[in-house]
Amino acid sequence: MRGVKALFFILVLAGAVLAAGCIGSTNASEDRKPFEGQTITVCSGAGLMKPINELIGMFENETGVKVEVHYGGSSEIFGVLQTTCGCDVFIPGAWYYTEQAMKKGYILNGTVRNVTEHIPVIAVPKGNPKGIHSLEDLAKPGVRVVLGDPKAAAIGKVSKKILEKNGLWDEVKPNVVVFTPTVNQLLIYISTRQADAAIIWEDMVTWAQAKGKIEVVQIPREQNSIKTIPTAVTTCAEKDGHVEVARAFNEFVANHTEIWEKWGFRPWKG
Amino acid sequence: MERLRFRTLTIFVAFLFTFFLFMAIATLFFVPRPHEILEALKSEEMVYSLKLSLITASISTLLVILIGIPIGYALSRFDFRGKSAVKSILDLPMAFPELVLGLALLLLFGRTAFGDALSALGINVVFTKLGIVVAQFFTALPYAVRVIYTTFEGISPRYELVARSLGYSEFETFRKVTLPMAKDGLFASTIISFARSMGAFGAVLILAGGSYMNTEILPVTLYLNISYGNIGMAITSGIVLVVVSFLAILIFERLEGGEHGPVRG
Repeated sequence: MRGVKALFFILVLAGAVLAAGCIGSTNASEDRKPFEGQTITVCSGAGLMKPINELIGMFENETGVKVEVHYGGSSEIFGVLQTTCGCDVFIPGAWYYTEQAMKKGYILNGTVRNVTEHIPVIAVPKGNPKGIHSLEDLAKPGVRVVLGDPKAAAIGKVSKKILEKNGLWDEVKPNVVVFTPTVNQLLIYISTRQADAAIIWEDMVTWAQAKGKIEVVQIPREQNSIKTIPTAVTTCAEKDGHVEVARAFNEFVANHTEIWEKWGFRPWKG
Repeated sequence: MERLRFRTLTIFVAFLFTFFLFMAIATLFFVPRPHEILEALKSEEMVYSLKLSLITASISTLLVILIGIPIGYALSRFDFRGKSAVKSILDLPMAFPELVLGLALLLLFGRTAFGDALSALGINVVFTKLGIVVAQFFTALPYAVRVIYTTFEGISPRYELVARSLGYSEFETFRKVTLPMAKDGLFASTIISFARSMGAFGAVLILAGGSYMNTEILPVTLYLNISYGNIGMAITSGIVLVVVSFLAILIFERLEGGEHGPVRG
């Protein structure tokens, strides 16, 4: 019995020492990192995952903030913003959604930053089996085209806009074998050679191109519809009491252009 | 006394989590306003989606049953080399996410030697309504085989042996003795296959494309409208799917678990 009591005492003492150690560590952290212990939620287009993951890692190290991130299609995360007010920072894959969010009062005034260009390109399977070299080639007989759904995917809206702008929508549409709800499907279908061409974001094909599965055909600037990827703080951050740290993250994302460039994006020079 | 506490505890857990699940499902029905639901139900997209879902699910269910019966019977009555491999592979789609199945089917039926051969015969699966049926078929098949297998396992081989000894051939025995005795189990597997086909999403999205008003079935309608931010339509799709599932499971429970379950020989 005495042995048990002694053991119990030792355990309590050990626990106390460990707890003191943790407390000391916390104090030290608070001295060094300005937002220690806070959490913010970021909603980001799924296609931006690689640079955003890296930026979050850097920001967390620098500030001690815990950043939770929700990736999805741009319209999907826009839905999250509207239905649950679940985003402190909103980074969709196209300006359109930030614009809509501003109109509906979800964006904090003065916080919108254009980060990079978002450039549509034509993606074709390795070897370019159908010899696609221009937008006009998408209308050639026998070409299997996949496009994003204009109602569901940011790339779908842009693709339709580009084709209409160049007077090609009616000619290309018969060649479209599927309008996809998600942008990722476009990549799958081109990589697996289910289709001969797609209009997709340039950054999304960087990896597949490097792996030798996809080739990229640039769209001439004057024919293209180049978007920007914006980042902004939401009014939800205000309700959550996270405005200052959300602003800090927002600026962090906008300023680290070298990370965006690393992952295939071109900095916006407005 | 100890037994009473144990009994109370287990019943309490059953009711508690049933309550949570019920509340989660019930919010689908209570959140939107009735006129929103009616509006959504009457929309062109919902009507198209519902019709397509019912048609493709009916076709895939029929195919699943026709093919599931011989598979279930073979696994129940016969021993053969590779039997455990067959069983394991047939069960696989129950164990991995539907998206994996969709990707696998895309690779098989797409631009491969096999897919190209089918195309040459005029059979196109990728991005077509046939793709919906194929995706639903392979999603539902494992569940049907399980139920059918269990049904046949529950029928004593004695009845078949008696029929055989009285002069029936193997096929006659199967058709006139085994199948009638398995009637309730087969109906139950039909119901579970239909519900599973109606709910197939990941495989259909990848293989058939999930195109608006083309290869759009109810789960795709739900997903698309969440993406649009059209919550009324999304919730209504969910409600329809819940109603279908509820009816299916109700019938399934009645046939599979009730007093009219499989005959125990």
